[in-house]
Amino acid sequence: MKRILLACSSGMSTSLLVTKMQEYAKSVGEEAEIWAVGQDQAKKEMAKADVVLIGPQMSFLKGELQKEAQKYGIPVDVIDMVAYGMADGKKVYEQALKLMGDK
Amino acid sequence: MNQALFEKLSKILVPIAGKLNNSRYLQVLRDAFMLAFPLTIFGSIAVVIANLPFLDKVMSENSLNTLKEMLGVAPNATMGVMTIFVVFGIGYYLSKSYEVEGVFGGAIALASFLLLTPFVLQVEGKEAVQGVIPLDRLGAKGMFLGMITAFTAGEIYRKVVQKNITIKMPAGVPPAVAKSFAALIPAVVTLTFFLVVNIIVTQIFKTNMHDVIYNAVQAPLVGLGSGIIATMIAIFVTQILWFFGLHGQIIINSVMDPIWNTLSLENLNAYTKTGEVPHVVSKQFIEIYTVGMGGTGMTLAVIFAILLFMKSKQMKQVAKLGLGPGIFNVNEPIIFGLPVVMNPLVIVPWILAPMVVTLVTYLAMSSGLVPPPNGVAVPWTVPIFINGIMATNSLAGGLLQVVNFLIVLVIWFPFLKFIDRMNLQKEREEGQDAAKSAS
Repeated sequence: MKRILLACSSGMSTSLLVTKMQEYAKSVGEEAEIWAVGQDQAKKEMAKADVVLIGPQMSFLKGELQKEAQKYGIPVDVIDMVAYGMADGKKVYEQALKLMGDK
Repeated sequence: MNQALFEKLSKILVPIAGKLNNSRYLQVLRDAFMLAFPLTIFGSIAVVIANLPFLDKVMSENSLNTLKEMLGVAPNATMGVMTIFVVFGIGYYLSKSYEVEGVFGGAIALASFLLLTPFVLQVEGKEAVQGVIPLDRLGAKGMFLGMITAFTAGEIYRKVVQKNITIKMPAGVPPAVAKSFAALIPAVVTLTFFLVVNIIVTQIFKTNMHDVIYNAVQAPLVGLGSGIIATMIAIFVTQILWFFGLHGQIIINSVMDPIWNTLSLENLNAYTKTGEVPHVVSKQFIEIYTVGMGGTGMTLAVIFAILLFMKSKQMKQVAKLGLGPGIFNVNEPIIFGLPVVMNPLVIVPWILAPMVVTLVTYLAMSSGLVPPPNGVAVPWTVPIFINGIMATNSLAGGLLQVVNFLIVLVIWFPFLKFIDRMNLQKEREEGQDAAKSAS
């Protein structure tokens, strides 16, 4: 089970991407829990996640979230802009997997 | 403009944006306004119902007045006293951000604010009424004093708590009891401070903190913020920030929200009392007439332009993807997919269109052609046209958005056409390459 947390300003714009990523994960037969939250909840929700991806418009959160993520030993990164814009579920899902692999 | 320059600029902007976004005070302020938000929506619904345009045709004047009286309590209990919720929210969230018991911080902030509030109503030419708080002091008029007091109270309270000057209870005392004692000394210290401030201001200077802050801070700041120049600067900076891929509103709003929200409250107060709207620029002006047109940069018009007039596959795909969210004013697909971010080909319409539209909207409203938003809170995800009508309680408010939509479309059109032609050429070349390698 892979648990991927997406964070943006209010969790609205990333929720579109969540659906696409879930579809992709399902299509390759992988079990994944993917969910989106606003920046206020991101720190709390992190405890349940294996990896945190940040919407590119909130890239300035990275430093702060990374500090928090160290407590749980999980990676944090900003979602690739183009993949984000095209709501490319596959690409972002693979980005998440790669980050988790780097651990 | 080249890529290296962009990267250099964004290296400067990202940390600034991060600092503003993560500033403890701005974060607390944002959360405190969010606390008041659901209440504001409730009050707004009542105002909308009481002011439905056809009601005077189907109801007698008497029953319409009764309806207004019955519903009037809803805005009074929510937006009318919004400063109370903001003050409590600031006290609560500020204490919590220092990991100090939040609910006491909230209560102490509120009591501090009330300590500075005169419990007397003075109407010109009449005898002063004792033992009442004028409602407007708890609403728009007291907003800045409320914010300043709540932050000061929260800071004093948490400092005393953190210095550990609290009464310690022996083990075995129930935690709730121990907690209320723990808050005792910090509460007394904080409240004493504001009591003394109030004594000095009322006894020595024969005035009150409400009038001092209103005249010295709130009125000038709000006056500045309601002007077209400040508004255009705010829009310009928002667009620039988004151009670098940063969430412009989060950053600009945290600075401007206190002013814009105060303007909205003043509008609503005046609207429910007299039907007049004093300020053109307010929170709703910004939300409904900029973001409310398909997201930041008013990109719903861009999506339509692409779907109707452009041919390249790549653009069509982005537009199709962006249409659904765009109707509800979420436009990240366009911003990152078209893309707008760091794309020198679109920087001109991206910045120009919202500024022109803002100016047109401002002129249309200040000239009286279209009524300004009356302060009723409309969630930013309500689609274009509907949100314009709701915010202004007038069809003209929606029609103005249609005009604005066309302005955006016209400004963007030549730039989109240029990108389209480039894309088509690229797609054709790629097609030829593919055909060649296939044969």
